[in-house]
Amino acid sequence: MATKKKEAPAIIDNVEALIEKIKAMKEAQKVFATFTQEQVDKIFFEAAMAANKARIPLAKMAVEETGMGVVEDKIIKNHYAAEYIYNAYKNTKTCGVIEEDTAYGIKKIAEPIGLIAAVIPTTNPTSTAIFKTLIALKTRNAIIISPHPRAKACTIAAAKVVLDAAVKAGAPEGIIGWIDVPSLELTNEVMRDADIILATGGPGMVKAAYSSGKPALGVGAGNTPAIIDETADIKLAVNSIIHSKTFDNGMICASEQSVTVLESVYEEVKKEFAYRGCYFLKKDEIEKVRKTIIINGALNAKIVGQSAYTIAKLAGVDVPENTKILIGEVESVDISEEFAHEKLSPVLAMYKAKTFDEAIAKAEQLVADGGYGHTSSLYINTAEKEKMAKHAAAMKTCRILINTPSSQGGIGDLYNFKLAPSLTLGCGSWGGNSVSENVGVKHLINIKTVAERRENMLWFRTPEKVYFKKGCMPVALDELGTEMHKKKAFIVTDTFLYKNGYVKPIEEKLDEMGIQHTCFYEVAPDPTLQCALKGTDQMRAFEPDTIIALGGGSAMDAAKIMWVMYEHPEANFEDMAMDFMDIRKRVYKFPKMGEKAYFVAIPTSSGTGSEVTPFAIITDADTGVKWPLADYELLPNMAIVDVDNMMTQPKGLTSASGIDVMTHAIEAYVSIMATEYTDGLALKAIKTVFDYLPAAYEKGAADPIAREKMANASCMAGMAFANAFLGLNHSMAHKLGAFHHIPHGVANALLLTNVIRYNAAEVPVKMGTFSQYQYPHAQARYAEAARFAGICGKDDAETVELFCEKLEELKKAIGIPKTIKEWGIKEEDFLATLDEMVEQAFNDQCTGANPRYPLMSEIKELYLKSYYGN
Amino acid sequence: MKLENVIVERPYKKVYRCDEGIAKVFEPSHPKEDVFNEALNQARVEATGLNIPKVKSVNEIDGKWALVIDYKEGKTLEELMQENPDKMDEYMEQFVDLQLEIHSKTAPLLGKLKDKLNRQINSLKDVVDATTRYELLTRLDSMPKHHKVCHGDFNPSNVIVGEDGSLYVVDWAHATQGNASADAAMTYLLFALKDQKLADKYMDLFCRKSDTAKQYVQQWLPIVAAAQLTKKHTMEQDFLMKWIDIFDYQ
Repeated sequence: MATKKKEAPAIIDNVEALIEKIKAMKEAQKVFATFTQEQVDKIFFEAAMAANKARIPLAKMAVEETGMGVVEDKIIKNHYAAEYIYNAYKNTKTCGVIEEDTAYGIKKIAEPIGLIAAVIPTTNPTSTAIFKTLIALKTRNAIIISPHPRAKACTIAAAKVVLDAAVKAGAPEGIIGWIDVPSLELTNEVMRDADIILATGGPGMVKAAYSSGKPALGVGAGNTPAIIDETADIKLAVNSIIHSKTFDNGMICASEQSVTVLESVYEEVKKEFAYRGCYFLKKDEIEKVRKTIIINGALNAKIVGQSAYTIAKLAGVDVPENTKILIGEVESVDISEEFAHEKLSPVLAMYKAKTFDEAIAKAEQLVADGGYGHTSSLYINTAEKEKMAKHAAAMKTCRILINTPSSQGGIGDLYNFKLAPSLTLGCGSWGGNSVSENVGVKHLINIKTVAERRENMLWFRTPEKVYFKKGCMPVALDELGTEMHKKKAFIVTDTFLYKNGYVKPIEEKLDEMGIQHTCFYEVAPDPTLQCALKGTDQMRAFEPDTIIALGGGSAMDAAKIMWVMYEHPEANFEDMAMDFMDIRKRVYKFPKMGEKAYFVAIPTSSGTGSEVTPFAIITDADTGVKWPLADYELLPNMAIVDVDNMMTQPKGLTSASGIDVMTHAIEAYVSIMATEYTDGLALKAIKTVFDYLPAAYEKGAADPIAREKMANASCMAGMAFANAFLGLNHSMAHKLGAFHHIPHGVANALLLTNVIRYNAAEVPVKMGTFSQYQYPHAQARYAEAARFAGICGKDDAETVELFCEKLEELKKAIGIPKTIKEWGIKEEDFLATLDEMVEQAFNDQCTGANPRYPLMSEIKELYLKSYYGN
Repeated sequence: MKLENVIVERPYKKVYRCDEGIAKVFEPSHPKEDVFNEALNQARVEATGLNIPKVKSVNEIDGKWALVIDYKEGKTLEELMQENPDKMDEYMEQFVDLQLEIHSKTAPLLGKLKDKLNRQINSLKDVVDATTRYELLTRLDSMPKHHKVCHGDFNPSNVIVGEDGSLYVVDWAHATQGNASADAAMTYLLFALKDQKLADKYMDLFCRKSDTAKQYVQQWLPIVAAAQLTKKHTMEQDFLMKWIDIFDYQ
């Protein structure tokens, strides 16, 4: 014989029975959690239908039991709770996968929360019970109700109707439960044992919910102030307020408690209220009603949900039996004024305001008196956008209703069809709530997000035109005139190039095309902000539509900075220079460039690649601060790589800038942001530098082929690192160069092989973070680059070692010493700056793309190794 | 011990002036534990350093339990208030200052005010219906938990003003530790039962001096009204029920 499962106790009136019941409900919920959307939707449908059918008897029971409210209105509330909630959520996915985006690899899965503890108020017992049980069923949760003792029978009856229908439709037995004999002890027990609390009611219960230690959706008291502006449709306003305030004898928490009327329409409003059956209390009557509705600052239980006539009688005031609302014309909005409180009955305060601002100030105070976070309303001509915005900004309420009866309007879907229907209205942090909107099914599910690994979207950015080949410059410049019809060109270069006639061919070509031009030739190495400002002044006076930068990195960088200041004088360097983790996610939005001038870059050395990169660096000579700028807006529009401009580079420049090219290419190749598009460029550049740099260094202009190969390698490496970025070698070289005045290329070279060996570690302490970078593979990448350059060892490790040796040989061939010490930096000078260099190098923008995420101690070690040698 | 000079007479006790000081002699119907508890409470409050009459002994006299405490020469503040109504403002200032001084003390071993109120509300089964008790308990449960010394029956008749103007608080039978606003609410209630105007004067002054919002003290009124109801003074019942029968804002 099968052992009979222990039945849950039939009557819950003590803690033991309750604990037993909760245990059984949790078991039932486990089964419910496995239901499909289809099964759940069927249960939801049947339960809503049953609640709908029972709406009249339940409404009658509620009025009879609580002695409050109006049967006909409670019928509407029940009807609403069944029909509107069903309609709003019938197609909502609440089970399993509810959202999926395969392109982004994201999936959202809804899971039930478990057991919901529901606290149900006396003001709306049956409708709230229907609402809460329905949304619990829709979300596969179990729900246990703690009814208020004043409304326990009708609350339980409503829950039972829903439960019976749900079980009949297939839901687990006992998925909805309740306390039969409510007590504070049992309510607290329920809250302790549930997984979430859905509390509706007064502040006491809500506070208890929040202090239970379980997540709670609690909602608090309202004190809705209505304002009638002078532009309002007065008939609509007054009758809406009457309609709302008399609904269920004013027991909806969103109901209007006061109306503030602009002076100019006050009498008209008053007349309409009176005409529609509202009673204006006389002075002595106001005092009588005051003492009747509020006792010691609290609401008199005897008036809640009673008719205006009954309340008047309690106060000893004679009014017609069919009086709709008792209106007290009062002045104070302070909490000491009884009429300023929430009244939960057809008693309304009426204020007069001279101005709209005064009306708002009154409403603000009334909200503060006892309705923080709840609801406010405004009657106005909706063409008055400014006033409406002012009101919306001032109200600390989570619902702001316009031209809408607030009782029916606040619960949603009746007067506005985007406001979610609900009988539990969140009041946000102002009301001490975790929710500021109308509570619905989404608050009763846990959503699991399954996120698949995806790689970053990448792009490849270059100037729109890159001209190359010996003698291409005049052809390229021709386009400025014949194709683009440019009128005024501003040339930026350095004194040496200007004095040695490098600008001449450009000027001649421009003259030939009738393009006006002028030349700024004061750029010095490590260009300063002051120099750029001077150039910008001239630029502004000249108003060019084309900027031509001729020179090495300095002239091109200075020209880029002038370009920015010329186009965007308002831009702030500190903002533009802000470091970023990902150039596409940076906080600062770089200004749009190219609206005033077209930018042409013509390099005269083979090194920086600045003609194709989005970078520029400038030094403020007054403060010594360097501003490194990086943004694709800084990409030149046209690059002209013509070796005729580079033939006579001095030897020192050839070697330093040549090894800089090598470092660009190697770092771009092992960068965590390297792509197949940048790889090809980097590999070709590495091989070209190995093959042609020694000849370019030795023979200079006598070997035009080597010169041209180096020019192309420089530009290709530029395009590679413009998109894949650099690494630790550059971070460290930037600081070494800055602190000890070592040419940039040389500084790179002095660190190069040490950084390669460091990066090539198969077990780095930390690796760089980028979705594409799957595991430490720098060693394999270096080996690939080496093999492409014709260097092969028996395995990757040996290949990398040979690669380093080969690089050291190259350095030697072009006159670069092995160590920093050999370059001539004094030991004490070096050590004195070491710690500062370490920290600054760590913080350099280039560090982020390095395949190995460096520790500062490791950077220090690398500097020391590069100083002393191995 | 010679017991001749009756100072105060209540249905459950007589208070005598005797050589040893003051003797509070309780009727046999008064629980023994209450007498010892009062002595213990008073001893605990003595330990806070407040200037109060000291407990000297608890004795059994003719089958009745008696608590003997120090005698303090002077009139009660209540008497003085009646005699010199023009000095009311001054007296009220002193009265509130004195209460605030009590509230500034702690006595960790005193009974908890919240537990006491909880018991009192639960004991009202015959007078207050289940719904109202539920609401009162919910309200009490949601109030902040403090641990300040509360006299529990602080009113001008329990303050003795010495010749030199020094003030002594007597009758520590109801002392607990808890929320000072609850204690103030009780004092307000005791005033209001006799004189609403005086009660309002007290409330304003207490709130101003203690920097407390009036509503905060008011929130305790239904609770202390329920506590007062347990004393079964039939005359007060309607008045108290009105204070109790309130509805939470929704």
